[in-house]
Amino acid sequence: MNDRKDREVRTDRLGMPVQAENYTASRPPGWQGQLGGCGIASCISLKGGRIDGDRIARMLTIMEERENGLGAGYACYGLFPERRDQYCLQFFFDDEEGKQAVEDFLDGRLDILHDEKVFLRERSTISPPYPLVWRYFANVPHAREWRGTRDLGEEDYLVELVQHINERVPKAFCVSSGKDMAVFKGNGYSYEIADLYDLGRYSGTMWLSHSRFPTNSPAWWAGAHPLSLLDWGVCHNGEITSYGVNRKLVEMNGYKCTVLTDTEVVTYLWDLLVRRNGLPTEVAAFVMAPSTFQEISLLPPAERRLAEWLRITYKEAFLNGPFSIIVGRSQPDISLIALADRKKLRPMIAGLSPNEEVAYCASEESAIRIVEPDARTWAPGAGNPFIAVAGKGIVRRGTEPSFQGVSL
Amino acid sequence: MSETPPTKRLDHRLPERFLPIVNYDLCRVCRRCVNDCSYQALEFRESKVVASGGCVACGRCIAICPANCIEIRPVPPQFAPHGNWSERSRRSILAQASSGGVLLSSCGADDEHPAIFDDLLLDAAQVTNPSIDPLREPVETVTYLGRRPGRLEVCDGKVMVREDDTPLIRMDMPLMFGHISLGSISYNAQQALFMAAKELNIVAGSGEGGLHPDFYQYADHICSEVASGRFGIKPEYLKEVAAVEIKIGQGAKPGHGGHLPGEKVTTMISETRMIPRGTDALSPYPHHDIYSIEDLAQLISVLKESTEYRLPVGVKIAAVHNVGAIASGIVRAGADFLTVDGFKGGTGAAPRVIRDHAGLPVEVAIAAVDRRLTQEGLRNRVTVCAGGGIRSSADMIKALALGADVVMVSTSAMVAMGCRVCQQCHRGLCSWGIATQRDDLTSRLDPNVAAARIVRLFRAWNEELKEVLGAMGIDAVESLVGNRDRLRYRGPNPKIAEVMNVKHIGEGWG
Ligand code: SF4
Ligand code: SF4
Repeated sequence: MNDRKDREVRTDRLGMPVQAENYTASRPPGWQGQLGGCGIASCISLKGGRIDGDRIARMLTIMEERENGLGAGYACYGLFPERRDQYCLQFFFDDEEGKQAVEDFLDGRLDILHDEKVFLRERSTISPPYPLVWRYFANVPHAREWRGTRDLGEEDYLVELVQHINERVPKAFCVSSGKDMAVFKGNGYSYEIADLYDLGRYSGTMWLSHSRFPTNSPAWWAGAHPLSLLDWGVCHNGEITSYGVNRKLVEMNGYKCTVLTDTEVVTYLWDLLVRRNGLPTEVAAFVMAPSTFQEISLLPPAERRLAEWLRITYKEAFLNGPFSIIVGRSQPDISLIALADRKKLRPMIAGLSPNEEVAYCASEESAIRIVEPDARTWAPGAGNPFIAVAGKGIVRRGTEPSFQGVSL
Repeated sequence: MSETPPTKRLDHRLPERFLPIVNYDLCRVCRRCVNDCSYQALEFRESKVVASGGCVACGRCIAICPANCIEIRPVPPQFAPHGNWSERSRRSILAQASSGGVLLSSCGADDEHPAIFDDLLLDAAQVTNPSIDPLREPVETVTYLGRRPGRLEVCDGKVMVREDDTPLIRMDMPLMFGHISLGSISYNAQQALFMAAKELNIVAGSGEGGLHPDFYQYADHICSEVASGRFGIKPEYLKEVAAVEIKIGQGAKPGHGGHLPGEKVTTMISETRMIPRGTDALSPYPHHDIYSIEDLAQLISVLKESTEYRLPVGVKIAAVHNVGAIASGIVRAGADFLTVDGFKGGTGAAPRVIRDHAGLPVEVAIAAVDRRLTQEGLRNRVTVCAGGGIRSSADMIKALALGADVVMVSTSAMVAMGCRVCQQCHRGLCSWGIATQRDDLTSRLDPNVAAARIVRLFRAWNEELKEVLGAMGIDAVESLVGNRDRLRYRGPNPKIAEVMNVKHIGEGWG
């Protein structure tokens, strides 16, 4: 065992000590969430091609002022073409005991087809403990019963299992649980995490990434972004001032808040609004970043009525305060959504490669230029979603009038 | 029993509580104060205005005196000091021993327990999120009152908005005027409230006294009250207004019905209430057709049927200890909105024992209702209104953050009109022309002037709400409702913070 005293104190760009206690799967005692600024970046191959992990790492790493080494992460979509239809559950375990507990729990509840250790290389700059990172490919069985409810939908069933593990099973945390995707995150600078997982060994159709500048709270590997549930992956830069309200809505719908950050709630909101309530993606975006009633009153009648009812019905899903988010999904198609708050208090820029094959979005233009010097870039509007879908292209640039393209 | 021999009558006259003092150097002997004092506490004797006893500190004489020469001085304690036998308790005993009756009072509970509101501190944004300047950027306070669908249906990618969805009332601010009946207050006072509600684009309660024919012009801003006495209920009273509310209880007197003494039942009141002139208007304590939650559900259905589902139908209850479960039952019974009236809520007449000792402070009640409805997955179906002792925009903001969608105010609106909270409403002598039916007194209140004062007050509160929202980095009031994260408790009893689910000062996050 290392003696704590001998360990070098970790510092940030300005030489300030940043290292707090280091936690992997288990939630740090007294954890109350985290806040701070962040850098986010994403790229998607519009034709469904493959982008390798080094590319996203370069995008994220260039925004070095946006991080202080207390958490970074990546999510890759279109990652397992051979196992595209299986759920990939990726876990952090504090130790073998956590792994055993999860395997015991999943036994009989999921059909595990394959499992493997996720490659992780020790880095001298990241202090232990490291989590044991493990991945399971699974199918959901036909007989699905959870707490007396039979015949749950496949995805609802999986949500119950994952939330149960994260809330109840000690020493284990499920960091992603979607099809054809996985999350790679941890406690360190963006370049350290890229190196730790050796991202270059992966390639996929879409990448999301996130680096953070939190205040000096305990470092928790599982609490880093992207946060994920099913195939949803969310990277978030901001601080939601309506957190207490939004949290109420997701809890009312059965979600369990285990990470206690606004990003977690944003993830559940996407799942609730789009997967469970069936709202079209852009409509869900308008729910989270709605127009003012003054703006709504100027819309044509059908749109006005819809906008008004969306706002009234889903007022608890309105994300107030500064944010920009990048959201990924693999079902039904690999898609990228970028959205900034309705006053656009946090940055978001979109870009397209000259050959129109790769779309980007990021907190800063530098993230796009470093990998695509000649990209065409533009700024999506406040509360106006940018949406790109692999195989379909850019569905919405984020500069259109709201409700354009929404069926009324 | 043999007749007791007559003894010398012992006069238990109580010492005066207030003493009007006139500065004779300045007094112009115009005698306006004498004429205006409806309590006859001043008289003109030997070319001087002198106190004649019975001053209630209504402040009318101070306001009317052109020489600004009257001062109302609280009389210092007159009884031998005793830590347990307060002057208040001894006065009550003496008064009750003389009258043998139930002690009546008005306004809200006047005990000295500090309001929990005063133990709550608001949050503000710094660095990690920017504050918003409401003078430069929109900060919205539009609020809807009524039932919400919980989710919208989606058909083939099209979000369905049904034309026949329950109507909601759109208001410019998260505020409503509580129910103050015609009878408890004067025609002019009620007209001022309705005029102000219209101008502010909010809703005002009718109270349980029916609606005067002249007031149907404000019907779009009136919520009709259906109370246990069913006074003044006729088709227009239900159909032509903005909303209908069943009154189960009132914060100032949980478990009691309304009480309007016969002296206040003038011809006008008798016509509006549809009761004989000069009779006491006593509402039964319960509704005699509501002995259970199923019965309430039936009355809600009846009202919805008879108003053709065009109006939101709500239920008002007094905040009592089991308020969370009761609220949940009311929502399940079909109420579109729910009003919770707290312990410190006002009244025109109530037994003191109830007013001062029964009920739950509104702060705790709001938090309990919000939590219970959230736990049961009902909170996003219903509008929660709450009031009872809201004295300032700060109270209003804290009530919103605790979980009320709409804050109900009554006493503060009356104070804006002139009321000095002298707590004599039940006597019908209000010198400000508010809680009285005497024409000479009523005519002192100009509805236009009073309405303008109310409008100014609440516009200012709404501006203050925007200022606070902006400081918190929130640009629409719905993002404050139930956002208890933005409150901290600094009072003496952390258990209160715990039951309200509010963190203690010093507890941050992140
Ligand atoms: S007008 Fe009011 S304050 Fe003045 S003497 Fe009469 S009761 Fe007292
Ligand atoms: S309404 Fe009139 S009687 Fe009642 S408290 Fe106010 S001033 Fe006094």
